[in-house]
Amino acid sequence: MPHYKLTYFDIMGLAEPIRLMFAQAGVEYENVMIPDEDDDPTWEKLKPTTPHCQLPILEVDGKVLAQSVAISNYLAKKLGFDGQNEWESAKAQELVQAINDVRQQVRAWRKEEDEKKKAEILKKLEHDVVTPYFDRHEKFLAKNGSGYFVGSHVTQADLHIFNTLQWWQNNHLFTEAFKNHPKIGEFVEKIANLPNIKKWIEKRPKTAV
Amino acid sequence: MPHYKLTYLNMMGRAEHIRLIFAQAGVEYEDNRLTQEEWAAFKSKTPFGQIPVLEVDGKMLAQTGAITTYLAKQFGLNGKDDWEAAKIQQLNGGTEDLIAQVIPWFREQDLEKKKELADKLVAEHVTPWLQRYEKFLTDNGTGYFVGNSVTQIDLGLLQFMGLFSHVLCPETFKKFPELCKFMERIASLPNIAAWIQKRPKTDH
Repeated sequence: MPHYKLTYFDIMGLAEPIRLMFAQAGVEYENVMIPDEDDDPTWEKLKPTTPHCQLPILEVDGKVLAQSVAISNYLAKKLGFDGQNEWESAKAQELVQAINDVRQQVRAWRKEEDEKKKAEILKKLEHDVVTPYFDRHEKFLAKNGSGYFVGSHVTQADLHIFNTLQWWQNNHLFTEAFKNHPKIGEFVEKIANLPNIKKWIEKRPKTAV
Repeated sequence: MPHYKLTYLNMMGRAEHIRLIFAQAGVEYEDNRLTQEEWAAFKSKTPFGQIPVLEVDGKMLAQTGAITTYLAKQFGLNGKDDWEAAKIQQLNGGTEDLIAQVIPWFREQDLEKKKELADKLVAEHVTPWLQRYEKFLTDNGTGYFVGNSVTQIDLGLLQFMGLFSHVLCPETFKKFPELCKFMERIASLPNIAAWIQKRPKTDH
């Protein structure tokens, strides 16, 4: 087994789906978490040495890989979360990019400081973005029939989608949408109760994001 | 060979990376270009209400990154091993980050504001990005970005960097001679040159 070292800030953020993959696979790795402060000296020193001046990075026996999507796709293949064939691999990647698109849009809500505007943005997101997303994804789950989004085993798509949806649930976002899409709620429960996932969630550092 | 059908608008946009992969591989496909009205009618048939979508013997795949990776794997344009494949994705991820910065400039209609945004964009984001990418290219040492032969990322970067070399900041781009040579090298690959000559001429 290669030596894996993941470096990111001390939050869940973009690294958490990667950490979920390591957890589910039961594979050891060095989980380096550095303070998430703008002028933190650790990050300032590390930044110019990274390929794109960003985190996360993954070191595999010392070789550096950057960009969370690249890291996720690489580890999905190495750790067995890439589906059973090329089409399933493509479908898993497709679903990861789709949830990332939605995450980007929800960021606007997170960044807004005015409480009244925040509530309006959230309502619009629920109607325009999350409900259609849930509509589609309930159909994908029903059509696939295994309880997972792709094929009959856990793929990176399940872990990425679970990660975001569980965060929404924990932060009481889009409660109507969740109520109206029971299969989505069941999916989140299913992944949360996978033994290795459950164990990781219990022991991981508790951070807001 | 499966039947491939690519659906997008009548422009280069996000589909051109995919079209360049088909061109380089010399693989036939249906290049389905929709009008705005046709797109409105087609939207609900797509997995996420977005294009491009690729149909492979009728099965639909969405999301540009998933499509380019799938096709690159089928046609031998995805690097020689998992690590090269990952490096390709890393470089692609870097372009997505920059696209997010470019979009406000792209959408700005007021010409004066557009110029201000352009100057800021070039100074704060594009120039450092070009420096990083020229270094990736020269560090690899083969004239290609990954490995020692053309991969899908070379095609994607030809398309993407065209925005800087021909539209946003041609003068700035000239300060990166290795990137300039790269653009010429990839654009001159016989299949790519042939496609560039025959493709519909659209602004973007």
